[in-house]
Amino acid sequence: MKTLKLRPYLLAATPFIGILILWTVLPSLLSVPAYKLPSPQLVWTKAIELTGDGSLLQHILVSLYRLALGFIVGNLLAVPIGIAIGVNRHASDFLLPLLTFLQSIAGIAWIPLAVLWFGIGDGAIIFVIANIIFFSNLYNTVIGVESIPQAYYRAVLSLGASRFDILKTVIIPGAFVQLIVGFRSSMAFGWRALIGAELIAGTTGLGYMTLDAVQWYQTETVILGMIIVGVIWLVMDRFLFRKLETMTVRRWGILQDK
Amino acid sequence: MIVNKELPKISVDNASIAYTNQDFAEPHLAVKDVTLEVSANEFLVVVGPSGCGKSSLLAAIAGFLTPQGGSIKLNGKQIEGPGADRGVVFQDYALLPWKTVLDNVGLGLKFRGMSKAERDKIAREHLALCGLADAEAKYPHQLSGGMRQRAAVARTLANQPEVMLMDEPFAAVDAQTRMTLQEELVRIWQQTEVTVFFVTHSVEEAIFLGDRVMVLSSGPGEIKAMVDIDIERKDRDLSSLNSNPRFQALRDEITRLVRQDAA
Ligand SMILES: Nc1ncnc2c1ncn2[C@@H]1O[C@H](COP(=O)(O)OP(=O)(O)OP(=O)(O)O)[C@@H](O)[C@H]1O
Ligand SMILES: [Mg+2]
Repeated sequence: MKTLKLRPYLLAATPFIGILILWTVLPSLLSVPAYKLPSPQLVWTKAIELTGDGSLLQHILVSLYRLALGFIVGNLLAVPIGIAIGVNRHASDFLLPLLTFLQSIAGIAWIPLAVLWFGIGDGAIIFVIANIIFFSNLYNTVIGVESIPQAYYRAVLSLGASRFDILKTVIIPGAFVQLIVGFRSSMAFGWRALIGAELIAGTTGLGYMTLDAVQWYQTETVILGMIIVGVIWLVMDRFLFRKLETMTVRRWGILQDK
Repeated sequence: MIVNKELPKISVDNASIAYTNQDFAEPHLAVKDVTLEVSANEFLVVVGPSGCGKSSLLAAIAGFLTPQGGSIKLNGKQIEGPGADRGVVFQDYALLPWKTVLDNVGLGLKFRGMSKAERDKIAREHLALCGLADAEAKYPHQLSGGMRQRAAVARTLANQPEVMLMDEPFAAVDAQTRMTLQEELVRIWQQTEVTVFFVTHSVEEAIFLGDRVMVLSSGPGEIKAMVDIDIERKDRDLSSLNSNPRFQALRDEITRLVRQDAA
């Protein structure tokens, strides 16, 4: 019983441990200089140092705040507009061409304009994140709505459902599989845009921290920043999106456990 | 034709149903020139070979499809779309996967604004009726095919529609349960004013249940025959029906009508 529960964790940890070992051994074997690839010990020391003076936590919190706000704004727009396009022919004819045009230039392509409009700082960065999250989840929502079987609409209509009942009992839960996919992948895109935007338009945050470090050849900080982004994302995915999935679509049998 | 002073519940007048498909230039005709009157509280059963348009006709009465020509009326009024007055039991159940069995069955009552306690009570009664009392907390994907079908029947019954449109509602349940459900359906039908439009492949079932049995020809479906089931309800006992000579005669006649056409 106990081994059964441990197994997935062991399996998940193995590749990480493998990379850590390679990272420890290879650079000294190939004599790579520390400014190009510092050893795990150096990165660890740096982590202790930056945790100690509080600056690391500060950068993390600022980045998470921007990401959260961008995520909320982007999805608050993407989900209703996506549903409107998914259910309504006219909304689709009216909006889809424009949105498709804009989609190709979503995200970090907007950084220059965002800086002009909002100046360096939170405004520009959140704009860029919300923008990429909007476009990345919009199409998921549309597909989610369009893939709901017609039989469900028919069933609730012959039970006397109003338009609002249909939205609540058929459209939103019916699109949920895609919505979760959309939340998850848009969040991943959001992370990338966040780092990109902070590199250019930030004076704080994890992206800024790594860029600032490069100028001083503090490669440890750069790698530390990358690791932290990965770890936070991993935690978010496991404890936010996976949870949401287990509570909804897996419970309903729409997604099946292996 | 029986002269009925009362307005027919459902009147189908020269209706044809066609599907327009992107793949074909010509629309596909599923039902052709059907004219039919179903009186209030009548039990009409429809039989016919697979693909002859039974589900299509049912969908048109439900208001999901608009007939190409002719008209379909409910209580003398043109049907504009689906509504709670016509409950539907779908051939593929159409239970909502994200609602428990109890919530699925209480769905129509919820749409009417009934309180949770009240609708759960009514839903439980109908689940018990359909032998699903133990399954109320389950989600549809955790049920067997026959259980899903019973849940779908319970959902329609609980909403107490004027007309029940049932598309092979007992096809996936075991023989034992089917008999119980057939008897229950007749009992409910007798106790209420409900009008039933019932599609089946089983000729025996059609005779046990129906006031009349409508036989459709193979696609595009036209009315091939309308058979009055002139066996008294009190003589339609499932255990002895098989040995009733009138039953045997009707069964042979209807079977012949269906098969003649399928061949
Ligand atoms: N959505 C659709 N689009 C195009 N053609 C359809 C559609 N639904 C049904 N048809 C066609 O209409 C005809 C009648 O189908 P229908 O489902 O009404 O038959 P049925 O009598 O209910 O058959 P079964 O006994 O197998 O359920 C068939 O030829 C079928 O191919
Ligand atoms: Mg059918």
